[in-house]
Amino acid sequence: MTTSTPAAPADLAPADPGTLADRLAEVWIELEERLERVPVLSRLADGTVTIHDYERLLFNLRQQVVDGSPWISRAASNFDIDHFTLRAAAIRHAEEEHRDYLMLERDYVAIGGSLAELRSGRKNLGSEALSGYMFHYADRPNPVGLLGAMFIIEGLGAKRAAGWAARFQEVLGLADNQVHFMQYHQQADSEHTGDLEAILTSGIIDDAAADEIVRCAQVVARLYALQLEELDR
Amino acid sequence: MHRCQGVAAACPTVVTMGSTATAYLTGFGRYLPGDPVDNDGIAARLGGDDPVTERIRRRVLDANGIRQRHYALDEHGEPTELNEELAVKALRAALDDRGIDAADLRMLACATTMGDVLVPGFASMVHGRLGGGPMQLLSAGGVCASSLAALDAAASKIRLGDHPRAAVVGSELASRSLRQRRFDGIRAGMDSHFLRWMLSDGAGAVILEFQPHPSRPSLRLDWVRHVSLAHEHDVCMRSGMAGAEPSVGHTWQDVEIADAEAAGMFVLRQDVSMLDELAEAGLRQFEELVDIGLVDVTNLDHVVCHYSTNVFRDLAFDGLRRRIPTLDTDRWFSNLETRGNTGSASIFIALEEAWRTGRFAPGETVLLAVPESGRFSFAFAHLTVVAPSDQQGAPT
Repeated sequence: MTTSTPAAPADLAPADPGTLADRLAEVWIELEERLERVPVLSRLADGTVTIHDYERLLFNLRQQVVDGSPWISRAASNFDIDHFTLRAAAIRHAEEEHRDYLMLERDYVAIGGSLAELRSGRKNLGSEALSGYMFHYADRPNPVGLLGAMFIIEGLGAKRAAGWAARFQEVLGLADNQVHFMQYHQQADSEHTGDLEAILTSGIIDDAAADEIVRCAQVVARLYALQLEELDR
Repeated sequence: MHRCQGVAAACPTVVTMGSTATAYLTGFGRYLPGDPVDNDGIAARLGGDDPVTERIRRRVLDANGIRQRHYALDEHGEPTELNEELAVKALRAALDDRGIDAADLRMLACATTMGDVLVPGFASMVHGRLGGGPMQLLSAGGVCASSLAALDAAASKIRLGDHPRAAVVGSELASRSLRQRRFDGIRAGMDSHFLRWMLSDGAGAVILEFQPHPSRPSLRLDWVRHVSLAHEHDVCMRSGMAGAEPSVGHTWQDVEIADAEAAGMFVLRQDVSMLDELAEAGLRQFEELVDIGLVDVTNLDHVVCHYSTNVFRDLAFDGLRRRIPTLDTDRWFSNLETRGNTGSASIFIALEEAWRTGRFAPGETVLLAVPESGRFSFAFAHLTVVAPSDQQGAPT
């Protein structure tokens, strides 16, 4: 447990007390603290996680992962020509990710799950909220704040997913062939977070946009954790 | 129990490249057709009740030590089942033992010496009869060691993470080709009598999974090793050719069927003069496993060995005891005397009985050994008994 102060409501104030990077780092720390308390992740950490846990995690993630590319594409279509850099990045990102769910589905089948059941599954409470929020936000004109969503989602992929994969492999004795989705995201999302950092530091983000990005990151961090907390509900 | 404990916990972002899963045997089944047939009941089914044959039979039975066996033949020697039916019944028993359905399988590996038909492959016929869903198939041909070849193939796919569950079956229905009609008018020496009064029918099956059984002990498959020495040995066991060397234009597929039959090509034969050499070669393979460290003789608790006759039991037992002085008959298991020699099914039928009767305890190790006379093949598998996952400590 760390003792750092959670992000305060003062973050809403337009006056920016720190750099955008510092503010996002604070959101990230709060997310990590929350993730430690997510039941499936704490079982993973203490080695009591079961193959059923892994199966349910994949099942739940899949229902939201299939929406990933669509909301990014929708956001791309809402960036006007003055935001060409962001439009181009979103189009590229959507294209790169639109087949990711197939990797997850193969992992699920490789541990004994039924593809038909997986594909007929519904989103859990957290996934509904997360997906609904992303599509809603992507519908806005020039949804720059979504860079905050990218910061959280790609950050989880780059910084956490491969560690989860390795720990699932260690505890459950899984083959690489059964953890492709989580393993792959370390590399792919590291590239994406690199692209993201380039945008965030390029000077095209003004103070108002920075506030939007931080707020979106806060909401997405909370909803992503909710998705992991509400497995099968 | 899993490898690299603690590594990922210490460095959460480490990527364990090249990791494989582990294969566990979680269900066991067997099927032996009909009632057991004792030595006096053989002639009614297989024929050969003339005084000369009678005398040879008694001599062979005395040597092989088999007291009872099963035939998929009625009391008049007429077939009662297909080989594929024996296989399916053993598979159903193994699936029931594990508490899963055929639909849960993603691979089926079938070993047999001879299926019921020439085409298609045996595994296709077994799958067709068993049902379940789409799955990968393997028909492992050969003789006794095809059992462990099938096991090895299925276990490899489990380890790769390609399939979560597979079934392996060894199945034989040799009896129908051991009946008198095959021997009428044919020169049948010791090379055919030896097998005729030794082989019988049955099937044994195991379920393989990438996770141990949730609530019962499982057998972790540590490794399978399968070696052929055909490069330096002639054919020992054969059918379908005249003599020990196949020659162009003279196999059973080249000549008229009636001529092939008259030439005795359909009789299963074994060159018994080569069997001592086979036993010695098998022991050398075992010695090699010890020498390269795959078998730790200080930590080997059980041996389940397939052998065709009790003569080789003593030879193998003494040979193993040279390296494992503590090996006693309690840790040596075979059910040859009561279940017969069922070829590729034997090792699974023996393993099922050893498992079901509680010979193995968690933490103990088991060596399966299957010599194959065909053209000198030797297969071994090493297993470790593991407690169910809910009784294991959490990895830290």
